Amino acid sequence: MNPSLVTISGLRKRYGRGAVVLEDITLDVAKGEFVSLIGPSGCGKSTLLKLIASLSPVTSGTLLVDGMSPAKARKETSFVFQEATLLPWRTVDDNIELPLQVLGMDRAQRRQICAQVRNLVGLDHVPGLYPRQLSGGMKMRVSIARALSVAPKILLLDEPFGALDEMTRDRLNEELLGIREKRGFTAFFVTHSVIEACFLSTRIVILAPNPGRIHRVMAVPFPYPRTVETRESPEFQRFTTEVSRALRAVNPEGR
Amino acid sequence: MRKYLRWYLPIFTGVLILLAWVGIKEAFGIRNFVLPGPMKIVHAAVKEHHNLVRAALVTMEGASLGFVMAAVVGFLLSVVMALSAGFRMSLYPYILILQMMPVVIFAPVLVIMLGPGLPAITFITFLICFFPIVANTTQGLISVDKNMVDLFRMINANRFQEVVLLRVPHAMPYFLTGLRIAGSIAMIGGTTGDLFASSSAGGLGYIVLVYNGELKIPELWAAGFTACLCGFVFITVVLVLNWLILRHWHDSIVKADL
Repeated sequence: MNPSLVTISGLRKRYGRGAVVLEDITLDVAKGEFVSLIGPSGCGKSTLLKLIASLSPVTSGTLLVDGMSPAKARKETSFVFQEATLLPWRTVDDNIELPLQVLGMDRAQRRQICAQVRNLVGLDHVPGLYPRQLSGGMKMRVSIARALSVAPKILLLDEPFGALDEMTRDRLNEELLGIREKRGFTAFFVTHSVIEACFLSTRIVILAPNPGRIHRVMAVPFPYPRTVETRESPEFQRFTTEVSRALRAVNPEGR
Repeated sequence: MRKYLRWYLPIFTGVLILLAWVGIKEAFGIRNFVLPGPMKIVHAAVKEHHNLVRAALVTMEGASLGFVMAAVVGFLLSVVMALSAGFRMSLYPYILILQMMPVVIFAPVLVIMLGPGLPAITFITFLICFFPIVANTTQGLISVDKNMVDLFRMINANRFQEVVLLRVPHAMPYFLTGLRIAGSIAMIGGTTGDLFASSSAGGLGYIVLVYNGELKIPELWAAGFTACLCGFVFITVVLVLNWLILRHWHDSIVKADL
């Protein structure tokens, strides 16, 4: 077993004096894992991602990222938001290079890294286009390339493909696994889609709402590389049914 | 066809207005010092073009200086206010007060303080143009999408980088809207300044006073239209700036070209 990269133990999160969003979360994630967080709205899955990213402080409990506090580990972490969050006044390349520019890297080196990650997400043909000229799927690819430009150890993805059509989503799922193969990052992936979670993950964490807590952690039994055939196999269908059932148990409307 | 209509329709409206003008004047026998005919005004403009051009240049000088000053100071102040909520809270009421004070009332005081001529015209234009620029730019600087701000936190951007790389470009359309409003009122500032700076400067506002005193009504109208033309110069400059800055990315300029 690989050493643990993210250690969460007895974690609790509350916004101010409001309701408790996450209660007693304990989870160990090893290097190289792909963990999907799934659950009904209000179960705090996005919040958990924000805590790991140090975009929001932990109320109590332990959260260690690569042995450090999340704030210190931010250099090793990249976030992919629900929307592509591209700067509309910058071209594709300039968007991808933004984190490198902020780091103070010189232009030549930036261009080189940008070309690499742009190739990785399959956008070789569009370096000078502006975001408005791109489709939703292409925007998300740029967003992922931007996150990868700093070669993060941990990639946090907050429902990145939620707004895309099913075909584009399937394609991007396959590509994301391909990129993971090459880059070897550890991923946390928030999604509403059971199929997506099953296809991508090494483990699926099902969260229950009010307050958000871990209902069940399920290991995904399919070996990588996963392909279209994986998704179409009867074993995959059977597994997604099982996950759906577990999810229904925590969904307040589905009871 | 549509393309030509863009040009023909306004021309047609203009002809209608001129016909109505002449028609009403003739039908009611309105005399020239009450309402001069269009041709009379054209004649006056041609006859007086020397004075009008000179006066317009004087006003334009003050108005453009004031306008540019308002743009620069307004922009910088907005950035400072966007950077610090404390600054914003302490300054904003006074900027509002400044805006609420009718400039016409303070113009004589300003002329006494700054001396007649260019400085007064410039400053009065500045006062008028300043507020729309600050109000719009500040709005643009603080209305950045929360996710974008989070993105900048994630990539460990410092406050300065966040302002320069995110907030300022995001505020550009707002700033330009402010400039457009300021550009359309800059001539009000300029001519108000003229009125009180009087003969020492001799701008459009001043020769209007002279024409009025001499009952040169067509000339007065000609001066009015000259000021209007000057206003269009401002607007044109702003529109060009607008196009230069936003042409690649903003929806107001690019409409689904793919």
